[in-house]
Amino acid sequence: MVRFYLWELEKLYHLKSVRLGAAAAFLLPILWSLAPGLKKVYGLVLVSGWQVPALALLAGMEFLFPFLVAMSAAEVLGAEVAMGTLKPVLLRPISRTRLVAVKLLAALTYPFALLGLSLVGGLLAGVFHGFGGFYGGTGLGPGGFAGVGYLAPGAALAEILRAYLLAGATLLPLAALAVFYASVFLSTTASALATLATVLLMRMLVVFPALVPLLLTTYLNLYLQPEKAGPGLLLLAIYTLGFGLLAVLFFEKKDV
Amino acid sequence: MPALEVHQLGKRYGRRWVLEKVSFQVEPGEVYALAGPNGSGKTTIIRLVTGLAFPSAGWVRLLGANVHEEGWRARRELGAVVEAPAAFYPHLTGRQNLERMAWMSGVQDPAARVREVMMRLEVIAVADQKVAGYSLGQRQRLGIAAAILARPRVLVLDEPTSGLDPDGIGKVHELLAEEAGRGVAVLLSTHHLREASGYVSKVGILGGGRLVDEVVLQSGAPRYRVRTNDPRRASALLKTVPALDGVRLRGEEVLFSGPPEEAVRALVAGGFRILELGRDYFDLYAYYRERVSGG
Repeated sequence: MVRFYLWELEKLYHLKSVRLGAAAAFLLPILWSLAPGLKKVYGLVLVSGWQVPALALLAGMEFLFPFLVAMSAAEVLGAEVAMGTLKPVLLRPISRTRLVAVKLLAALTYPFALLGLSLVGGLLAGVFHGFGGFYGGTGLGPGGFAGVGYLAPGAALAEILRAYLLAGATLLPLAALAVFYASVFLSTTASALATLATVLLMRMLVVFPALVPLLLTTYLNLYLQPEKAGPGLLLLAIYTLGFGLLAVLFFEKKDV
Repeated sequence: MPALEVHQLGKRYGRRWVLEKVSFQVEPGEVYALAGPNGSGKTTIIRLVTGLAFPSAGWVRLLGANVHEEGWRARRELGAVVEAPAAFYPHLTGRQNLERMAWMSGVQDPAARVREVMMRLEVIAVADQKVAGYSLGQRQRLGIAAAILARPRVLVLDEPTSGLDPDGIGKVHELLAEEAGRGVAVLLSTHHLREASGYVSKVGILGGGRLVDEVVLQSGAPRYRVRTNDPRRASALLKTVPALDGVRLRGEEVLFSGPPEEAVRALVAGGFRILELGRDYFDLYAYYRERVSGG
């Protein structure tokens, strides 16, 4: 199983969308830290290197990271269909359940890899501003970028790591949903679009207040609300498992 | 027990049946060819038999195991190429692709086996080149190498000679005959009927999603054809002669197996004029055309 999973990761690494996404995630914080209009547009002056990864996370989680995750997770199955390699794999004595489960695991790894690269890019870009203690906030804790006083380096790092991990967790259901749609449509584009359309539709359901606590979209900014992590993570896990299970069940009897 | 058993197989998309009530068997050591015009259902049968698609009716058994209910267990003895040209991971070399397949199939001593099949299909010279740079024919040869990699007892091949040069076509036919000689049951779809008739045991002729006819070749007994002044009555008469077998009418000729002198004796006694008598060398292609146009 481990070898199978590692092979899936290797295949993921060779996907163009994954490489493009990785480049975008790595370069985004560097570009943003050098952006001349930060103060003018956002009223923000970077005073610490710890603020750069936060800035990249906030900007990326708006659209870029969910989009990249939906695209790449859909491609985990869609690319195999497009290349024609899915059939030869399915002809081997390997269960379909195991195959989709491993692909799902690889797709669920991707959000953390993507955010990890963004974090590395952010930390590299932050070198110019220094990583000492500072008066202000990382943008991911109390008081936003203004903060609530002096922030020690350790506390800043902890805030950033927590936010990145929570952001990764919020992207998991999207990855699982994209894999489910890929098992239905066997097409990268259709699956990625269906995933994003589902999220957009879910966002519209806020007009039904009773549904709001149950909506996946309610927790997409969980990284900014760590106090809601308990119920939020539970719901995200339920969505992830649910979509994953649907993908496995659907693919089990799918004509390829 | 048949190596491959297809029973009343049917496939429907919406209300439209693309395949209906197809039944046939392939015994160990037999080569069964599916022939038919484009859209007759050959590829659908191949996909159903290999478990890639699921039937709307009927069932498929590989060495007694139901392909669609017993999943991967039923595919342990299966080797297949279902697309022409065969698809591989383009960023890996031919050897790496086969090594991964060998690993998935649980092949013992995979490096040696990969080398062996690559030599057999004459792709060893490009073994360490990325598949992205392979020609169509090289990919097809690699596909067949992948199919025989795990020493399967059932081989299923969709147009195995597609994209190959005459030398490659000959090589593949030779290999399939060898595999059948080792006791492997082979099911293939082909348009190369004349070449295939040299080693194929049976031909299933498809038309409009149905098995129109099944022709048994290489039955061992020589066949004869006789032309008389009244072929219909002659056919009816010869069917009553116990020494003769497989009597049937083909156009103006009556075909039969068995001693020709017995047929002559019966026809002369029946008052028929014999216009021509000779061995019938089966022309599969002509027969196929006759059946398909008739069907």
